[in-house]
Amino acid sequence: MSATIDLTLKVWRQQDRSDAGHFETIEAKDISVDASFLEMLDLVNERLTLDGREPIAFDHDCREGICGMCGAMVNGQAHGPESKTTLCQLHMRHFSDGDTVVIEPWRSRAFPVLKDLVVDRSAFDRIIAAGGYVSVRTGQAPEAHSIPVPKNKADLAFDAAQCIGCGACVAACPNASAMLFVAAKVSHLSLLPQGQAERRRRARAMVAQMDREGFGNCSNHYECEAACPKGISVAHIARLNREHLFASVMEKVTG
Amino acid sequence: MTAIPMGTSIVKKQIVAVSGLALVGFILAHLAGNFNIFLGPEWLNGYAKHLEELGPVLWLMRIGLLAAAIVHITFTVLVTIENRRSRGVAYAVAGSRGGTTFAKKTMILSGLMVLSFLFLHLSDFTFADKHGSASIVAGANGGESLGLYGIVWNAFLNPLRVVVYIFAVCCLGLHLSHAIQSCTQSLGLSDEPVLQRVTFASRVIGALAALSYASIPVYVIVRHFTVGIGV
Ligand code: HEM
Ligand code: FES
Repeated sequence: MSATIDLTLKVWRQQDRSDAGHFETIEAKDISVDASFLEMLDLVNERLTLDGREPIAFDHDCREGICGMCGAMVNGQAHGPESKTTLCQLHMRHFSDGDTVVIEPWRSRAFPVLKDLVVDRSAFDRIIAAGGYVSVRTGQAPEAHSIPVPKNKADLAFDAAQCIGCGACVAACPNASAMLFVAAKVSHLSLLPQGQAERRRRARAMVAQMDREGFGNCSNHYECEAACPKGISVAHIARLNREHLFASVMEKVTG
Repeated sequence: MTAIPMGTSIVKKQIVAVSGLALVGFILAHLAGNFNIFLGPEWLNGYAKHLEELGPVLWLMRIGLLAAAIVHITFTVLVTIENRRSRGVAYAVAGSRGGTTFAKKTMILSGLMVLSFLFLHLSDFTFADKHGSASIVAGANGGESLGLYGIVWNAFLNPLRVVVYIFAVCCLGLHLSHAIQSCTQSLGLSDEPVLQRVTFASRVIGALAALSYASIPVYVIVRHFTVGIGV
């Protein structure tokens, strides 16, 4: 029998996009310290349902820290108090008996709340659709070694490619800026040979779409890097700044 | 949606960075020039005269500086407004994981403090009559004008002004402690190790700039109460 704790949750409840929303206080008793944060919410939801109350809506899918679906602000921290940990991988042993836990959705104008803790992150999809891809002929997968990739570039590209698109960077940024997300995607592709053909167009198109969605500007606070469950470095933002500058200058020069 | 159409967010930040760098250049050059005060009236007045003698070149530099300041202020106010809008609903609990700092959160305030101080500063020194009554230091130089040196000396005998000046240069130091690092990042010049070193250097430069500028009023006061002006 593992230890259990009692918590007081203050959870954001919002019926739909147009509802103003409010905090609801919910007692979460006898929570196993071995449970994950989402399992804790599952348990609370089961009890709410049995009481004939509306369960708390939250996003999740893989529950192993790789899909990027989960996420909420827990006591003012994106994905909760542990660094480099998604909400689904956060365990209740990091909380103490009697704690009050304030749970809020990601806040950004570009991420409207759909219900409770669920936000609409399709702004990220539209940024990807604007240029976060390489155009290739489909068909058989090519032989991996037919395109040589220098080791240092491959490593950096892998670091950037770890981005799971969860939106914690936006949620944690004082300006609700999406620069770390866009930087990770632009960086990842611009470092690889396959990404070269569309390199300039990509940087400009993705940044333009990011602006259109209403994300803030980057003021170099670096809260994003600290909040990122994958620890993606703000050095990628410097690379994006460089890529975008170069692409804009080349656009002026070559048209 | 919320973006104000003045170039992409990145371009705006790069305009802030370049105009800011021009201002940083001025701040450091101005400091170097001001150090002449420690060498005595001939040096400081000589330096001032030297600048005046540049004539049109001085005016070109002044216009360039004014342009940089106008661009910097316009774009920083613009991005600050956009950034305030983009959150939408504020968090009930606002946390930080240590990325941001006091200096970063108060850039607009430290900037505006420096700006308001600038008007006082210009009327105190730049537009002062270099040979008027304010340049005569009581009991020094046989009652003759001491030029800019005399004006500076008299100005800093007023404790309120000294406090305002020291506060203003601390705001400037705070601004610089983030600004230089921020520039390298905005212009895409940094990778991880560079960023670490520049962040450190930025704080050192900010602190040194504040201390060095503050040393001037402190020097005047201390000297007034000890050896006196000595001319
Ligand atoms: C001598 C005076 C000044 C110097 C040397 C200076 C320098 C700088 C530099 C180098 C940056 C960094 C740019 C970047 O990260 O891209 C910066 C940022 C900033 N400056 Fe100034 N500045 C001065 C005056 C002002 C004034 C008068 C204001 C007031 C409107 C101001 C407001 C700001 C703001 C708000 C930022 C941050 C912008 C952001 O990252 O969102 N500055 N400054
Ligand atoms: S549910 Fe997939 S990352 Fe958390």
